[in-house]
Amino acid sequence: MDNLVNEEEISEVAKLMKIDLEDHSAHIKRVQKMLEYFDILDSANVESEEIIVQETDLDKLRNDKHIPYDKNLLKFLKTYQGKYVKAPKLN
Amino acid sequence: MDLGISALNYVNGIKNNEFTVEEFISESLDHIKQVDEKLHAFLRINDSAIKNAKEIDAKIKSNQNVGRCYGMPISVKDNICIEGSKTTCASKVLENFIAPYTSTVVSKLHSEDVIIIGKTNMDEFAMGISTEFSAYGPSKNPWNTDYVPGGSSGGSGVSVSANECVASLGSDTGGSIRNPASFCSVVGLKPTYGLVSRYGLVSYANSIEQIGPMTKTVEDSAFLLNMIYGIDPNDNTTIDSKNQDYLSNIDAGINGKKIGIVTEMTNSDGLSADVLDANNDAIKTFEKLGANCEQVSLQMVPYTVAAYYTITSTEAGSNLARYDNVRYGYELDSSGFEFNSYISQARSKLGPEVIRRMILGGFVPSAGHAGKYFLKALKVKSKLINEINHVFEKFDFLISPTVPIQPFKFGEKINDPVSFMMIDFNTVTANLTGIPAISVPYKITNGLPIGIQIMSNRLEEHSLLQAAYALEKTVDLPEVPV
Repeated sequence: MDNLVNEEEISEVAKLMKIDLEDHSAHIKRVQKMLEYFDILDSANVESEEIIVQETDLDKLRNDKHIPYDKNLLKFLKTYQGKYVKAPKLN
Repeated sequence: MDLGISALNYVNGIKNNEFTVEEFISESLDHIKQVDEKLHAFLRINDSAIKNAKEIDAKIKSNQNVGRCYGMPISVKDNICIEGSKTTCASKVLENFIAPYTSTVVSKLHSEDVIIIGKTNMDEFAMGISTEFSAYGPSKNPWNTDYVPGGSSGGSGVSVSANECVASLGSDTGGSIRNPASFCSVVGLKPTYGLVSRYGLVSYANSIEQIGPMTKTVEDSAFLLNMIYGIDPNDNTTIDSKNQDYLSNIDAGINGKKIGIVTEMTNSDGLSADVLDANNDAIKTFEKLGANCEQVSLQMVPYTVAAYYTITSTEAGSNLARYDNVRYGYELDSSGFEFNSYISQARSKLGPEVIRRMILGGFVPSAGHAGKYFLKALKVKSKLINEINHVFEKFDFLISPTVPIQPFKFGEKINDPVSFMMIDFNTVTANLTGIPAISVPYKITNGLPIGIQIMSNRLEEHSLLQAAYALEKTVDLPEVPV
């Protein structure tokens, strides 16, 4: 169990993922169990395997040009105020 | 009126003036009213369905061109966008999100005069296999409402199984179409990665997920696939399948075809005896139909569930980062909040499974842990792809039970994350390798369904559907007890 993520680490990761957890213990055991199961990957013997990368040809990409969008997307924002998007302050 | 008819029989019924679109839609809505309080397949019903039906009836009456669906009622999983209507992904975070554009699959079906009768329930952001993680409560299995319907496209499976609609669209990241198809006794097809556009599908793990049909018959899946596949400039992962007609020669049979029985999927610890019996029976059926079946080993299969959850959690961590309550979200005044604390507060509405996957998604690719988890998972995926490529040099199809167990009772698995994950054991291989796979209803044992999974090489949906059709024609299942 030594290599398992602990509550402190979960708290840190949750903070990085911007998730507010009032009670980390509600998740810790379950996340630990999942990670413990992921240890099975150690026995897959894949160290020398090359990772296959999903490639997309440049000619398959959309043309790099402006496509007009006539719908008012801003109206979908909950925090739209006047002509501004209302967002929380940055420190 | 028989609401249990297939999509093709619905179309014939309209063409032969046996009923009007309005009559069928009206009766479907009445049926939904009667049964959905108990089954909870739907999150929302389309209020304009009758109006849409009248418009299509008018087109038919005045001999105008009518699309191939002739007003056929289908349901759509609530992670597929339709402009101007809610798309919640069964999450409280998106409770009031109105989609500003329509997904390519729905646009294609609209152009064929389909009627979207409603949006279906699912596990929140498609993370789950039972709909128990829906923020709006679970759907119930129509074969026995004490049991889960499977997931994450559980609402779609229920809606088709309980004859609330003719067909449905689901999405499949690790079995989310095939699992509920198996649990609800309907056909579920996960197409080749790239065959169907994902434009307008809310992303969970975009490198492996696909939209696909859930239907009453294999022919109906071919019929729907004909209308939704194709290259889409809005999704650069879409691929050319050379104008296939998946319905043509669907009855070609499988005489002389080679079928590999995946050893690791038919001797795993969690496999139930009843499910194994059904799979063995299906193999005998295929042999009687002239196929040659033999065991084949895919050595990476025991590692696929761990690889799948590592990769999908990582992608989920990235894809769900957009839910910051500024671009998407609900009413929560940002006054007084610092930026990060505001987002954290807003995300407290995410359900427990989504939170856990986001934590995993932050952890497994992080510096210090990526080598142990994420990179190894990618290597397992690569080795599995090589194994699959090698196997399909010899075999036409692979066969396994779709799910190692039958539907289980609500609450039975939810507290044991590992046994919950292992339910995906037979389905994730198709997602990690991009191959198509279909679940065919095969047996009802102890009053609950068992589905058989057939997989083929990439873009071989045509022959895959022929094999599925051949198997389907050998079974005679009881009516769903709704």
